[in-house]
Amino acid sequence: MKMEGEEVRIGIFVCHCGSNIGGVMDCKALVKYASTLPDVVYTEDNLYTCSEVGLNQIKDAIKEHNLNRVIVASCTPRTHESLFRDTIQEVGLNPYLFEMANIRDQCSWVHMKDKEKATEKAKDLLRMAVGKAKMLEPLEKIKVGVTPAAAVIGGGIAGITAATNLLHQGFNVFLLEKTNQLGGIINRLYKLYPSNELGTEFIQKKIEYIQNHPNIEVLTNATIKSVYGFVGEYDLEVEVNNSTKKLRAGTIIIATGAQVLDAQYVQEFKGENVINQADLELQLKNKTFDAKNVVMVQCAGARIDERPYCSNICCMTALKNALLIKEQSPDSHVTILYRDVQTLGTKYEETYQKARESRILFVKYSPEKNPIVENDHVKVYSELSGGKEISIPRDLIVLSTPLVANPDSKELAQFFKVPLEENQFFLEAHVKLRPVDFATDGVYVCGCTKWPADIPETISQAYAASSRASTVLSHETFEVEGSTAKILDKSKCVGCEICIKICPFGAIIKNEEDEVDIIQVLCHGCGTCGATCPHKAITVSHFTTEQIISQIHSFGGD
Amino acid sequence: MNEKNKAALVIGAGIAGIQASLDLGDMGIQVHLVEQRPCIGGRMAQLDKTFPTNDCSICILAPKLSDCARHPNITLHTLSEVVGLEGIPGNFEVTILQHPRYVDLDKCINCGDCVENCPVSVDDEFNVGLKKRSAIYLDYLQGIPAKVTIDDSVCLHFIQGICGICKKVCDKEAIDYEQKEEIFNLNVGAVIVATGYDPFDPTPLQNFGYGSASNVITALELERIICASGPTDGHLIRPSDGRTVKKIAFIQCVGSRDKNYNKYCSSICCMYTTKEAMVAYEHDNELETKIFYIDMRAGGKHFRKYLKRGEEEYNITYVKGSVGEIREDEDQNLIVIYEVSNTGEVKSERFDMVVLATSIIPKQDADKVAKSLGIERDKYNFIKTLPHAPMITTREGVYACGCCHEPMDIPNSVVEASSAAALAAEVIRSSK
Amino acid sequence: MNFEPKILGFLCNWCSYAGADLAGVSRMQYPPNIRILRVMCSGRVDPEFFFEGFLKGIDGIILTGCHLGDCHYLEGNYEAMMKFDLVKRLLSLINFENRVRLEWVSASEGKRFAEIVTDFTNHIKEQGPSPTRTDNPDPVLVEKLKALKNAAGDQRLRALVGRERKITEQGNVYGEVISKEKFDELLNLAIKDEFERHWILLMLQKEPKSVKGIAKELKIDSSEVLKHIVSLRNQNLVALERIEGLSPIYVRIGEN
Repeated sequence: MKMEGEEVRIGIFVCHCGSNIGGVMDCKALVKYASTLPDVVYTEDNLYTCSEVGLNQIKDAIKEHNLNRVIVASCTPRTHESLFRDTIQEVGLNPYLFEMANIRDQCSWVHMKDKEKATEKAKDLLRMAVGKAKMLEPLEKIKVGVTPAAAVIGGGIAGITAATNLLHQGFNVFLLEKTNQLGGIINRLYKLYPSNELGTEFIQKKIEYIQNHPNIEVLTNATIKSVYGFVGEYDLEVEVNNSTKKLRAGTIIIATGAQVLDAQYVQEFKGENVINQADLELQLKNKTFDAKNVVMVQCAGARIDERPYCSNICCMTALKNALLIKEQSPDSHVTILYRDVQTLGTKYEETYQKARESRILFVKYSPEKNPIVENDHVKVYSELSGGKEISIPRDLIVLSTPLVANPDSKELAQFFKVPLEENQFFLEAHVKLRPVDFATDGVYVCGCTKWPADIPETISQAYAASSRASTVLSHETFEVEGSTAKILDKSKCVGCEICIKICPFGAIIKNEEDEVDIIQVLCHGCGTCGATCPHKAITVSHFTTEQIISQIHSFGGD
Repeated sequence: MNEKNKAALVIGAGIAGIQASLDLGDMGIQVHLVEQRPCIGGRMAQLDKTFPTNDCSICILAPKLSDCARHPNITLHTLSEVVGLEGIPGNFEVTILQHPRYVDLDKCINCGDCVENCPVSVDDEFNVGLKKRSAIYLDYLQGIPAKVTIDDSVCLHFIQGICGICKKVCDKEAIDYEQKEEIFNLNVGAVIVATGYDPFDPTPLQNFGYGSASNVITALELERIICASGPTDGHLIRPSDGRTVKKIAFIQCVGSRDKNYNKYCSSICCMYTTKEAMVAYEHDNELETKIFYIDMRAGGKHFRKYLKRGEEEYNITYVKGSVGEIREDEDQNLIVIYEVSNTGEVKSERFDMVVLATSIIPKQDADKVAKSLGIERDKYNFIKTLPHAPMITTREGVYACGCCHEPMDIPNSVVEASSAAALAAEVIRSSK
Repeated sequence: MNFEPKILGFLCNWCSYAGADLAGVSRMQYPPNIRILRVMCSGRVDPEFFFEGFLKGIDGIILTGCHLGDCHYLEGNYEAMMKFDLVKRLLSLINFENRVRLEWVSASEGKRFAEIVTDFTNHIKEQGPSPTRTDNPDPVLVEKLKALKNAAGDQRLRALVGRERKITEQGNVYGEVISKEKFDELLNLAIKDEFERHWILLMLQKEPKSVKGIAKELKIDSSEVLKHIVSLRNQNLVALERIEGLSPIYVRIGEN
């Protein structure tokens, strides 16, 4: 499908990616081959096509050779397509007239030992890209309005922090809390590290502040019933005290936190007077703590087959509580049985050293020979004592149990169509560079919902999530991709409504004229309707049947 | 949000500064991004891969560099430093000193002719001295802006008044020896400090032999050696004789958790060492690596899984033990003498190469930066921040993120960068 | 000679393609035979695409999507599964069903992706080259493939498969939920019909034929052919051209 009256003029840029591609395949041969392909009028190779130099070379070539389709053979469109699209747009080419051939991640890197075949494969991939590129059509992005409000789900420290920041930035906030009070886990904590402030005092100040803010609506006892919509305009149905409330928000922040694993679920360390750190904090807070010999067991229920992860915050929790006990009753004995002490950075490591100096005893144990809990002592196997068991008196065992995902996290994830990882924590878009984003625009995550995090970390993440939300909320409109479904031929449609039923986003409807119609902003561009329509009346732009068949034929050697 | 907002100032264009700038820019706030080096990218650009995904570092960073450079709301000030900050939150007057590049940014096309013809050869900072560069040079291959720079401290034109070859060979007439330092002021509403860190120089730890035994290298040096675009084109070879490496010892906490140097934990070494051992193994499947550690600190997301993979699939052995001494034999192999923590037994083992996981320390000029901004530092010279609000410094309206205030990994730096941006946006938006 | 299969992979953007990228990032090595074609969702893959591929001499085709429940578009992979099932049933009519595979690969399963590709490549190597991958493929086989492609592209099977989940999970217009077994039975009957009809249409496109002539080529009963001809005449796809002796000769009319 050529643009009317215009011949297809394809330019191909082959990236060496330093030696990532160039070291495996013959890029020069690839360029030479590319120049023989139909409709290709310009080819070149670059050391790094994505460098400013490479991008300028693309722009120059478009102008100089009047290119109207651009192909870059390099890494993956998942990371670099937007960059190249923007680049060709800068010189006036429609960004959708761009195609990538993945000759690195899916070629040079996976066929490192077979240079010849890797080069042959890259040639095929280029030919397929040309097959698609010649059929590409210009498309326009679709804009949607943005409701300048955020729905923050979870009223613990993460949710409260994110909400407060958004309020300060001038946005409206709905704060949804499942239980009957704000504050989350901190309500149950004793003194916080390192300020020694009482948990309740710390959180109550913050709760009072937001509850008195005019631009927030705090909904406690709130359960989400349904979620509809997309970035810019999410419609939530929330059940609050047996009545249903509807609210609309431009973005969503998920800050539902996690749960502390109860001591009774730890099979390895059972016995009388065995509690977890959260229970200990309650005892300290309620002044019911009276033990003389305390043994803390780190990694209790964590770093085992069932729960292989390190819960990140338990070492600091144990150190904090051990120090508080020593401070309160200096002649008590506190022993910490540990595997690795996780005290990252400056302040935490300092606390660890302080704990060692405060005559808190640290004994390393190995999970192959777990400590054995007896009624008045704990037996620990220690190689350092010549492979002997040492016996530590105890009247209280405090298990440092991990944070575990909330039982309803799966349900919540499904409402917002975002993924969970294997331990049921939420899985962000990219663990390195998009730590609080999801692939789904407009939904963000912070705090223990994502992974066990202590208070400072949670606060940082909450601010980060509100920053990301603000990048959407700060504008009147949000742009969405132009590659959506479209009715190819109205006359072919017989009104069977199969497409309407299979579209999960409700993007296909029957309009007032009783004709099948597509609401483009609701369409996510999956293209399932196109593959399903019995009469082939629908297709999806940028992945049309003709384009895909052209790619297939190009591979088959048309 | 159509009202005219004050701009924000971001100091340091590593991953933290870049993320903070992008967030603010995307909120519609003008950003001045100040970077000391000729190109933005910072430490992350020097890394080969990143844990725990083993993503190629520059590959995931490059799009952000471009986004930054092309963002309509972000103004880059390279080769620049902040020398003064006056005023109050919402209305700061910042003074910037811009050093001359001696190259016209608009004219230079980075063709490389000048670089090729420059007679000077000095250590290349980007490749931590493992490679040479000329006096006129491009900071690094994918650097942005992709423009060359003259280092006037080594250029013959500036130190001896001779040469001038670069000016002669430049067809674009981009070389301008007459450029001078410039000082200018900017009015901004909030400041974000993201100046990063320096690696600790392990030379003083004489028992480890760094500086005397040539096959004892630092982790950052290994990072460049295993990088495909590094000094050895990604070949894992020994500095002493170019021999392929078959056995590497990694020593943790070099300069960290050490009373004589830095008492704190550098946070990231356990993980990056595992990554380096994995990537090294990918270069050569016969490679054997041992990691000597005190505590294996891997609390981050999927970090434990990563270590397990290292052990099971990458032939990594983790040894809980402290290394007392590293001796060099006549073949320049290294004998590592260590105590096994669990048993107290002293052992020794021979390796082809030893890699030191050196601490993260405050930047050399941290003192100067803090003074010019009027903010305090903690006892380790990192920027001082509040306990429960980690981005808040001792001066209102000035926020810190990333390694300039505490050692941390990339995801945490990115989180803090966004976080600092949120706080800066609060100040800017509430003080129109 | 060493047989190097031509393998085509349809990968969904969100999970499988990311998994394939991860295989690269992790430098997991697999055979270089696969050529990946990225679609946004595995549900986008039209049954026709498989036949287009086999007609072009591709030896094996693999479709991968997000794990069930993980689909970025919620249920696109369920739809992909229904379509793939149709494809497999159609291909079994020409013994090609072993040349296709459906797998779920997540964005974190780089290793699994490499293993699946390795296994599928070896499997296709065992199958040997596709009979269509020669300069002169068996014309009957090509006709059959074309008939299958047309059947996959025609409304009857598409409508049936498009409604499959609704019919088997929520019930038809009369509110009757049809069991999966019953549905498969219906589907198999429809597949046989549609295949034969499209083959007849292709035959008649080339030259007009009698019922007997068709039955001989199709190797089915004349009565079956007559049933198809009646149906095709009702759809205005076939018309009577002339009568030769006592045999009516039919011709293809209208667009194909």
